[in-house]
Amino acid sequence: MKQGAQVGKFGDHIRGLREKRAGFDSAFSLRQVATRCGITPAYLSRVERDEVPPPGEETLVKLADELDEDRDVMLALAGKISSDLRAVILARPRLFAELIRALKSAPEHAVLRIVREVRDGDW
Amino acid sequence: MPTLESNRLVFRFPHIEESAQFSIEFQRTLRIPDTDRTYSLPPGLGLFPLRHVEDFADRLDHATISRGGVVMPMWQAEAMWLNFHSRRPYDGPSFPVAIKVAAGKINAVSGETWRPGLNRHPQDYMVSPQQPWLDGFAVKPGVIRQFVAMPLGDGYTVEHQISGTEEWGGLQIQVAPLKNHAWQKIRAAWREKVRTPHFAEDRLCDSSSRLMGLGAGGLMKQAIYPDQFQLDDWDLESMDRVFVTLLHARDWKSTTGESAPHHPPTAQEYSKAGLPWFDYYGCDQASLPGGEKLASIASVGELFKKKTGAAMPNCEDVETGVPKIVGPRQVRVGEW
Repeated sequence: MKQGAQVGKFGDHIRGLREKRAGFDSAFSLRQVATRCGITPAYLSRVERDEVPPPGEETLVKLADELDEDRDVMLALAGKISSDLRAVILARPRLFAELIRALKSAPEHAVLRIVREVRDGDW
Repeated sequence: MPTLESNRLVFRFPHIEESAQFSIEFQRTLRIPDTDRTYSLPPGLGLFPLRHVEDFADRLDHATISRGGVVMPMWQAEAMWLNFHSRRPYDGPSFPVAIKVAAGKINAVSGETWRPGLNRHPQDYMVSPQQPWLDGFAVKPGVIRQFVAMPLGDGYTVEHQISGTEEWGGLQIQVAPLKNHAWQKIRAAWREKVRTPHFAEDRLCDSSSRLMGLGAGGLMKQAIYPDQFQLDDWDLESMDRVFVTLLHARDWKSTTGESAPHHPPTAQEYSKAGLPWFDYYGCDQASLPGGEKLASIASVGELFKKKTGAAMPNCEDVETGVPKIVGPRQVRVGEW
């Protein structure tokens, strides 16, 4: 049924995120979230119960934005990588495979500092 | 320190709230006609690419490298808007931040030259999530003049009109979180509110300059909202800032090795295709008056006519139809 996604994890994760919010805000009911993401409540319900494979990239991104989840995390949990990231890796697959392995055990703050922090200067 | 993630600037304040996160996207858009008419909101046509300046230290000038931050490509006379997003914890409201935006170190909200910190008289910053986006310079209550990129040194920028020089160009952004005591107060109020049964539903002759500044484009309906917090509620010690260098898109490939984004559609092409314009449903709230100095700035179109004697291309008014109403969490997506 699933390809790449961790069995029983993806649907649980989506439901967990949504229900946490629904506990405080009725705008996060199954019906309302599904409508805002352009899918049917029945389909979202099946996704949450892991009865169908995770949706495509476009819907996953909408779900991530709706549930305030990081888009890459959402895609990774669904066993996918974003099309832009795929293009980056495919351009230099060996180099990026090496890079990811090298960073595997580095702490998160160190990875963030190396890869992503924006340096301030004189202005 | 802010991070660059998927072409967004991301600011985190984990010492105040673990999941507190605010991000800014730089949205491509069409340039609205530079006439007397005040337009609705144009669409977002995707994100500009952002790159760390130090990755191209051998291809950018020393001044650009010393300012740090990120670099972004823009075509001459291309427009842009800033999309703000405050992430909310599942059991709380969106985390508020104060955002100060300047172009060429001229404040886009007050028209004053860059001053550190946050200032109230006049207010020179915006508050997210109340302020969902910024499309330009606040010229009068509820009206902005669109951000339009023009080469530095040609005298089209707002920086040149107000300071008399074109030294900085680009965009300067500063973000301050709420102090912990103020955050806990609104978080507690939010919890109290949700416990109740009622749930609130919440193409020109190119200049030789590589660097760009922002000039003032056409008029657009957009309110800049007054701060509802006390000035002392903002944690100025935790402020982060970023310098965004605007590089002429013509030079993007030779600098970064990546293809430049395609030219954006004109307002005329967009309108002819029958695509939507937008209105913000929060636009009936009170608005700041707009910068006194910004009220009298000349638009890029007016300056172009004065310098060349010709009308700027693609400046004719367009039909916009009935605008689509959007809410604070919706990005104005233009299908193009």
